[in-house]
Amino acid sequence: MNIWDSLKDVLELKVGGITVVNIFTFIFILLLAVVIGKMVRINLRRILREKVPGATLVAIEKIAYYGIIFIGLMVALPYIGFSLSGLLVAGGILGIVIGFASQTVVSNLISGLFLMVEKPIKIGDGVNIGDVSGVVKDIRILSTTIRTYDGIYVRIPNDRVFSSNIQNYVAHVARRFEYKIGIRYSDDAEKAVKIIKSLLEEHPLILKEPAPAIFVEELGESSVNLSIRIWAPSNHWFSVKTEMLWKIKVALEKEGIEIPFPQHVIWFADESKKILKKK
Amino acid sequence: MIFLRVFGEYDLSTQLKEQDVEITIEGKGKRKSYYRKVGEEEVKKFIHAEEGKVVICPVEPVNLPKEGVAEHLLIELDKPFIIESGFKDTFYVKFPVEIGVFLVDKKDVERIDIFTKTKPKYTLYGPPENGIICKWWKSDVYSEMPEVDRLYEGIMKIEIANNYYEWMEINKVVFRAFDMKLFYNEYAYMHATLTILKKTFGETTFNKRKPKNMKGAIDIYLAKGIKKFEKKFIMELGFK
Repeated sequence: MNIWDSLKDVLELKVGGITVVNIFTFIFILLLAVVIGKMVRINLRRILREKVPGATLVAIEKIAYYGIIFIGLMVALPYIGFSLSGLLVAGGILGIVIGFASQTVVSNLISGLFLMVEKPIKIGDGVNIGDVSGVVKDIRILSTTIRTYDGIYVRIPNDRVFSSNIQNYVAHVARRFEYKIGIRYSDDAEKAVKIIKSLLEEHPLILKEPAPAIFVEELGESSVNLSIRIWAPSNHWFSVKTEMLWKIKVALEKEGIEIPFPQHVIWFADESKKILKKK
Repeated sequence: MIFLRVFGEYDLSTQLKEQDVEITIEGKGKRKSYYRKVGEEEVKKFIHAEEGKVVICPVEPVNLPKEGVAEHLLIELDKPFIIESGFKDTFYVKFPVEIGVFLVDKKDVERIDIFTKTKPKYTLYGPPENGIICKWWKSDVYSEMPEVDRLYEGIMKIEIANNYYEWMEINKVVFRAFDMKLFYNEYAYMHATLTILKKTFGETTFNKRKPKNMKGAIDIYLAKGIKKFEKKFIMELGFK
């Protein structure tokens, strides 16, 4: 009896009805699944590190790693005499139950993945999602967290984020805002435009190009209404907006141009004048 | 002793005055006080330093008035520069000077202050959706090195090459601050190149070779510990 025959005998030995070779195959497939899982995990980390937030990346890594191990287990189980048909029936029923129970979770998960691919928002962006406005603090696999401008923590499920209208205030590098200022009919509108122009020129964050636009927009009931349209870097527009309105008012008043109160000019008919005179 | 020029290397106790710029670093032992006045603007700081020197030099002119707003400098030419296809030329422009005050020892370079005498302004190169916020400056085009007020403006030599098959009109040039290499002696100096490749496409780079009798300025990005990866800037949104 040579060594191969003895090895063959050993491999064909049955332990609890399962041959040794099948036990080895089972262990080998599991080990292979672990190795492949680890390789996929490392590569995912390397590829997605710059693109996906940390917590989400960990979740994706875990899903991929345990998914591969699960597949390996499914492939390996028949070698140790475990019937998959029974497991599939049980798994099928369990799957339906879990499916019904977790359809929201899956919907959020898939929406989260789409959000990561489409990237309509990034961490740190000022956004308005549905009826929530604030700064994006985190984009996780199931939900997105926002700190509203009032400082309140809001968690929005990703399927709601995905299906809502998203306004991202900083997606573009520059944005425009507008003031409307009324001056008296007796004031020189051209002079007012000049004063405002030179004031805007002084402010470093009011962009040179696209240039601010200042023009008479409307001859209103009580005032000549000027429209002032200003472009500023998206990350700084609000501070510019809050700063400039009062400065414009002060600069105009310094030059004798005033913002009028609402007013009505009342004309009396001749008859009324006579009556008034008699009185 | 009061030094009458700002750019240079000084001891940890020093007093400088040039035009309306005053800088004083004084104090005994490790604790020093730093005082800087430019026009009406005053800055006071305390410095804890035992050894080292103070270096005052021009820095990449994109830091003020607010850091992080722009990383590019756009120079708008007062008169357009028109160049024939296949030709090369050289001209000079002026750029705004920002002055950095650094504490330098054997281990590290620490920024103490940055100031400018210029009136900063930002602009947008390209459309809002994919443009770039740049620091803006307007300059005439000079065929020879212009005279400058050294604390206000520096000189940039631009070598231009038109590799496109048509005449090209240049109204603006955009430079990446990451790529800039500044030199100084009496004035701040940079040497850039603009290569026109297509009608709305060109690249700007900087020549890093130190000119004779000039010192290399401290690189503000290296002083901050930022590694530089991207170098040349691709102007893909046109020259007008």
